[in-house]
Amino acid sequence: MTFEPEGTHSNASMRNLHLLHGTLPHEVVCTENLTPFLKLLPCKGKAGISSLLDGHKLFDANWQTMAVDVKPVCPEDGTECILQIEQTVDMVLDIERSKRPRDNPMPRPIPTEDLVCDNSKPYHGGDSCFPLDRTSEMSWSLNKVFGRPLKGSCPLTTEDGRDSETVCINVPHEREVQERTAADLVKKEHEDGYLRCYKISPNLDFDLILPEQYLSSNLPLSHPSLHAFRSITGHGQERGGVRAILTNPSLTSPVRFVYLESLPWFMKPYLHTLRATISSSTAPLPDQYLEPQQAPNTADPIKQMYYRPAVDRHRGTHLELLLELPPASTLTLTYDFEKSLLRYTEYPPDANRGFDVAPAVIRLLSSSSSSSSSNGSSLLGASEYLRTTSLLLPLPTPDFSMPYNVIILTSTVMALAFGSIFNILVRRFVAADEAPGYGGKGAKDE
Amino acid sequence: MNLQLDRHKALLFGSAAAIRLLLFTGFPSLPDLLTGRVEISTPITSFKRLQEGLFLYTHNVSPYDGGVYHQAPLLLPLFSLLPNPSIYPLATDPLYTAIDLLSANALMQIAESRESVSSRLFTSSRKNARWSAVAVGAGYLFNPLALLTTLARPTSVLTDLFILLATSKACAGHALTSTLALAVASYLSLYPVLLFPPLALLCYDRILLRASHAGSSTNSNVTNNNNNNNNNRKPPSLFVFVLAHLTRLALALTALLILSYLINASSWSFIPATYGTHLLLRDLTPTVGLWWYFFTEIFDSFRAFFLAIFWLHMASYSLGITIRVRGQPLFAVVALLGVLAVFKPYPSVGDTRLFLGALLLYGHVFELTRYAFPALSSLLYSAFLGPAFYYLWIYAGSGNANFFYAITLVWSLGLSVVLADVIYAVLRDEWEVERPEMKGREARQI
Repeated sequence: MTFEPEGTHSNASMRNLHLLHGTLPHEVVCTENLTPFLKLLPCKGKAGISSLLDGHKLFDANWQTMAVDVKPVCPEDGTECILQIEQTVDMVLDIERSKRPRDNPMPRPIPTEDLVCDNSKPYHGGDSCFPLDRTSEMSWSLNKVFGRPLKGSCPLTTEDGRDSETVCINVPHEREVQERTAADLVKKEHEDGYLRCYKISPNLDFDLILPEQYLSSNLPLSHPSLHAFRSITGHGQERGGVRAILTNPSLTSPVRFVYLESLPWFMKPYLHTLRATISSSTAPLPDQYLEPQQAPNTADPIKQMYYRPAVDRHRGTHLELLLELPPASTLTLTYDFEKSLLRYTEYPPDANRGFDVAPAVIRLLSSSSSSSSSNGSSLLGASEYLRTTSLLLPLPTPDFSMPYNVIILTSTVMALAFGSIFNILVRRFVAADEAPGYGGKGAKDE
Repeated sequence: MNLQLDRHKALLFGSAAAIRLLLFTGFPSLPDLLTGRVEISTPITSFKRLQEGLFLYTHNVSPYDGGVYHQAPLLLPLFSLLPNPSIYPLATDPLYTAIDLLSANALMQIAESRESVSSRLFTSSRKNARWSAVAVGAGYLFNPLALLTTLARPTSVLTDLFILLATSKACAGHALTSTLALAVASYLSLYPVLLFPPLALLCYDRILLRASHAGSSTNSNVTNNNNNNNNNRKPPSLFVFVLAHLTRLALALTALLILSYLINASSWSFIPATYGTHLLLRDLTPTVGLWWYFFTEIFDSFRAFFLAIFWLHMASYSLGITIRVRGQPLFAVVALLGVLAVFKPYPSVGDTRLFLGALLLYGHVFELTRYAFPALSSLLYSAFLGPAFYYLWIYAGSGNANFFYAITLVWSLGLSVVLADVIYAVLRDEWEVERPEMKGREARQI
């Protein structure tokens, strides 16, 4: 339910398509994660907007995403189908942090002259200052944030249009944006007034500079259709629970979505403890614990469930739920699980850190009836996906210094038990003074 | 005297049932707490896993396709007849109380048959010191381990019930019923198959005993037809008898397996999930036994070898003890119960309860034991420290797995000392019939 093929596929090929879904919840990234990605680009990261990508800056971001989407596209006039590849990099950068030079990233305090102090505080004086929040937009430029200016462009097409623009910036109307480049460039503003796009001549550096400015209006942000938050409950390394809090902030429209959990095999959920409770209230903050109260006339929010249990060391748990949330309500999904003890060699080197559990994938379906017919259509737009955070699962660990000791101790106990029972069964009884070598007569019985 | 016995029995059963029902209803969270304890519930007998299997079964998902359920398929339709335990938690309590009382009843029938003091080939010199049936039953029912086991509701109590039924029917000479009960017990868990040799001998002895009693009461009237009678009532040879009952056991097991195949939606997938888990120790959850930590710590290349060794070791006791204690096949059953309690892959305190209860049948030889006090003290010591060290390892995080592992070693050692000591006492009792002057005098084994 969660993943459907995008692009144009013929019916014959649809029958042979398989869905392969893999997750890697935790990875220590380095520049080698970026290099193969850049190599797929036509200009290999040397021109165009991809020339801004530097491993240190990219992976220093607070949040980053890299995506490669490949889909077949068949034009309407029946000419040969082509494979379209779309590569995406999303970053959420902290401007102040990114402005630190790459070679010397130590944070430095701002000079006292630049400090803006709160004069109303009683302790305000020459040597104590309560800094005020910044009210103005910071100044930044592409060079300062990414460490290098944009180098030329990598034109994909010579025609004018959306595809020929190298870089676009999405700022409020009144924001001042200065361009610095050697040659002339073509600048275009789009209809909604917020998007400013530039077409740059190749082989020349380009920089965007935004000075410090006080803004009276902000960009209108789109509101998400769903808030999702997932965490582990319980304590100890024996069992626990998972709680997912899903909130529909909209006041008017319900939201239908598919919730996919792909759990590792050593986390064994108990599906008979799965509970979904809806409480209708205005959307709480994701980190607030909400005591769910059953609304008296709420239907079961779980419309459909697909569950494939895990097989030890072979495959993980696959749980998909089709859920529907009424407007302005919060759904709390909880279930228990049990943690298992793994074999000695199955633990990672830092075993006491725990294991990572992949994020839950939420696919937002439109709440109209078109979602039910989406199975049949072959030309689909991209669906909207949300992912929760990954979870850290501490598992019980054996003592890793002990394999030899455990073998000999257990074998000793078994040998003691077996030996004593065997001796008692096999030997015959004699009186104490008849036993040879005991100091008695040594007479044999019968 | 029969009336008095019945009155005592009714009092015993009434008070035992009252205690159990009182504990179930007075402490409603206690059963769930005990179901989670590793000393009482194992992965192959846990009540919570039974609930999970029931949930999947009633929702048309095969519970054996992976996941947590490793118990016999025939339990599923049986327990699905009961109301859902999570909604009506008191529904299963009368069932488990009844199982306990039936097991105690079977044990008391064994005690009343006086098989423990006088079998066909052996009569103990201490037969007047045997414990009465009511004492045996009381010892079995009021054992704190028994109360804990009943409250935790594992499915091993069903296996114990059928083992005791098989033994009591064998003591009464009903060979077919005994074989059927043993087939059900072996179907539920794998191990009771090892009890077949002594149970077959017990049936054989009792059948011959009954036949000779019947024969002697008619022979006293007929003096000149002795030879004819003897020729007409030639007893079956032991070999033929054992072979016949082995065939019946195999047929009964096959019938049960075919029934399970039909219940499991016509697939044999339950066999790797149930018996495969026993044989290959797929689930490494800690228990009170010796297997889990050993197989956690060894490297994978030695796994098959050590699994074979551990199973061979456990299976080898069956024939050995039976042959040595040919004169008292009931004692061979009791000794094998002790062996199973120590060396099973997933033992629990329920197996210990069964062993200690069956030991009371041989209360007349307790004066011959040598190490009763140290062994029972070490059992008490590990019974108190075990849960504490488990808590330190799993919940407090201030101890590691070695603490709990050491306690399991002490527990296993204590139980095996009890077992070896009782075997010594019974063998010494046998020897003292041959040499009555050795009573009270020191003896040795060479």
